[in-house]
Amino acid sequence: MESGSQPGEAGRFQVIDGDRPLDWERVYRDHVTSIYRLLYGKVGNQHDAEDLTSQVFLEALPRLRASASGGEIHMYLVTTAKTVLAGHWRRRLGVQVTEIDENVVTAEAQTPPSDPLPRIRRILAKLPANYRRVLELRFLERCSVGETATRMGISAGNARVVQYRALQRAAELGQEVGV
Amino acid sequence: MNRRIRRVSRWIDDLLHDRSPRGFRGAEDEATVLATAIELQNASPSAGLPDPQFVESLRQRIARETQGEVPHAPRFSRRALLASGGLAAATAAAGVLVGERLTSPSTAQHELVPDAGAWTAVAVVSDLPEGTARTFDTGSVRGFIVNRGGSIAALSGVCTHLGCLLQLNTAARRLDCPCHSAAFGFDGSVLFKHMPDTLPPLPLLETRVRNGQIEVLTV
Repeated sequence: MESGSQPGEAGRFQVIDGDRPLDWERVYRDHVTSIYRLLYGKVGNQHDAEDLTSQVFLEALPRLRASASGGEIHMYLVTTAKTVLAGHWRRRLGVQVTEIDENVVTAEAQTPPSDPLPRIRRILAKLPANYRRVLELRFLERCSVGETATRMGISAGNARVVQYRALQRAAELGQEVGV
Repeated sequence: MNRRIRRVSRWIDDLLHDRSPRGFRGAEDEATVLATAIELQNASPSAGLPDPQFVESLRQRIARETQGEVPHAPRFSRRALLASGGLAAATAAAGVLVGERLTSPSTAQHELVPDAGAWTAVAVVSDLPEGTARTFDTGSVRGFIVNRGGSIAALSGVCTHLGCLLQLNTAARRLDCPCHSAAFGFDGSVLFKHMPDTLPPLPLLETRVRNGQIEVLTV
């Protein structure tokens, strides 16, 4: 009689340090949304968020111990996401645009995701009028550079410059406004 | 400087179109500009939950690449789910995320029929192409009308977990709960959820089409 995995256990990983198989489907199901959201928040687009989420699970799952607690698994996935994100920016731009702070992520996991709009509104409110306008048109109304330029009565080249300066100023204000 | 402004603007164009932004050799001070652009982009309503198709395809990829057999995804009990609804049962070949089995009696889909209802026009048929959904609000009921393969149905717009108002996610063709990371398909079935509680599907409302208008039986 054969020992080992039963038909119902197909697809489970073999554990590294014990006899109990890791229920990877459960781990995946429980964490895929939070890891995706975390990464989406750091890259701002679906394509990269999906790519990085895939990397995180493919790297982390085979290394997880079946005996790990839910909290330990979450922390390991977040730590893996931090490394994966750093590699993404290194390859893509050579500079670290965003990063993951495990302590912040752990604290945020205890509360529902906060609405980013109030903070953004506070930042926009402190900007000079033309800076605020360009960012509202581009990011809130999703206008192209051409449309933005037309609605602001300036050239497309000028709209790009104002957009750049507005983002620089918004970044400074973001530090002052806090979360 | 002009080159830098142009490449940052192009990068933002990609971001705003939900494309993977092209890389370049960035400078340190550009990183804060790009990070701010990402923060602004994240205020978009489309930012948020993963596409169920992606979640399912990654699940299969993990199973494949780790040399495990691909387990059959637990499927929802369509019979129970659609017991009282008139919708064809096809959601999900593409979209249903592996989740918990929804076979207990409490997860059957119910129909919301008011005691003293009246037909209320909520949209014009031509405004609801196949595969789309629209929000409606009659004052007493907020919900969604959906066109699935030419069959029009109406669903309650209130999450069956704790009553949060669902949001129409047109791109992912689903109804998202903003409170606890759950989503429903256009047939009312649960696509995924993050809470341990059992989550019943969305109740259906009676609908009919009269003179090119979609009407919902409501109070």
